[in-house]
Amino acid sequence: MMHLITGGSGSGKSAYAESQVLAAGPGRRIYIATMIPYGEEGRQRVERHRALRREKQFETVECYTGLAELSLKDKITQTTAEGAAFSSSSKDTMVLLECMSNLVANEVFEPDGAQERTVEAVCEGIRRLRRQTRHLFIVTNEIFSDGITYDPETMRYLSYLGAVNQRLAGMADAVTEVVYGIPVRLK
Amino acid sequence: MKLIIGGAYQGKLAYAKKEYHLTEGWLDGGTCPPEAILSCSGIYNFHEYVKRMVNTDNIVSESEQFSRIFLQTDNLSGLEQQAEAFAEMLCRKNPDIVIISNELGYGVVPMEKEDRLWREAVGRICTGLASRADEVIRVVCGMGQRLK
Repeated sequence: MMHLITGGSGSGKSAYAESQVLAAGPGRRIYIATMIPYGEEGRQRVERHRALRREKQFETVECYTGLAELSLKDKITQTTAEGAAFSSSSKDTMVLLECMSNLVANEVFEPDGAQERTVEAVCEGIRRLRRQTRHLFIVTNEIFSDGITYDPETMRYLSYLGAVNQRLAGMADAVTEVVYGIPVRLK
Repeated sequence: MKLIIGGAYQGKLAYAKKEYHLTEGWLDGGTCPPEAILSCSGIYNFHEYVKRMVNTDNIVSESEQFSRIFLQTDNLSGLEQQAEAFAEMLCRKNPDIVIISNELGYGVVPMEKEDRLWREAVGRICTGLASRADEVIRVVCGMGQRLK
């Protein structure tokens, strides 16, 4: 089961996505974080969010680029070292990936990113991730409706994110747009 | 008339082509001759068409009659009435047209006057079109959502 969740900034899409994971029942919960923490403030913010998710029994796995290389099985040793015990079966693994807008930005703008192969690389990463999970929840971002023509690099980024969103929506079992906390089912 | 709206890069044109089995007869609103809108099957980048309407320097229209319906205002107050008149004229002369426009109104007020006029014109004209449309579809992530 793959569920794509979109919405504008401050729409409540993250809270909705998290509630959907919790509603899916017990199991191994993995949060894939995609935002590169810059500076001390960034690290503090990330640590705070990690702690909040730990209370909800989420393991946090960072993935900034190269999602297709990510194996969730590899992460078990790390997490057991932290003292948590998890079953390794994909049958009870639930993943929340947040946020597609960061992942695509990393692939486009970071030196080790997929650059012009971004759309294909991200979609392949999601296909592989899906095979390793029972439930896959992906949060993405509606940043396409401000009517501003940005510089060519930014427009390229927007076109890639738009293309990724369309491809993922095509693959997904469910697509939801969250509008001020109200889930609107698109698929 | 059918109106398809949504943010940039959402797959609106692909959606409309598939949904209405309309693979040919499309105009690009950013480059088409202005009067061609009256006889086409569909137009995409309609927001770019409107941009040419508010920035009349860019318009090269061979039809004197047609150029009169372009917006003749440089302020927001006269815009609503003219936008309404344009929507009415377009629906009367090309009642089966499929119109695809980006939504532009979800950002901060633009710094440039011309951009403010453009954004407002797209909003007013699409509002006029939506009230006359048989259906209004908003496309998000390639998925169509019927608003009307």
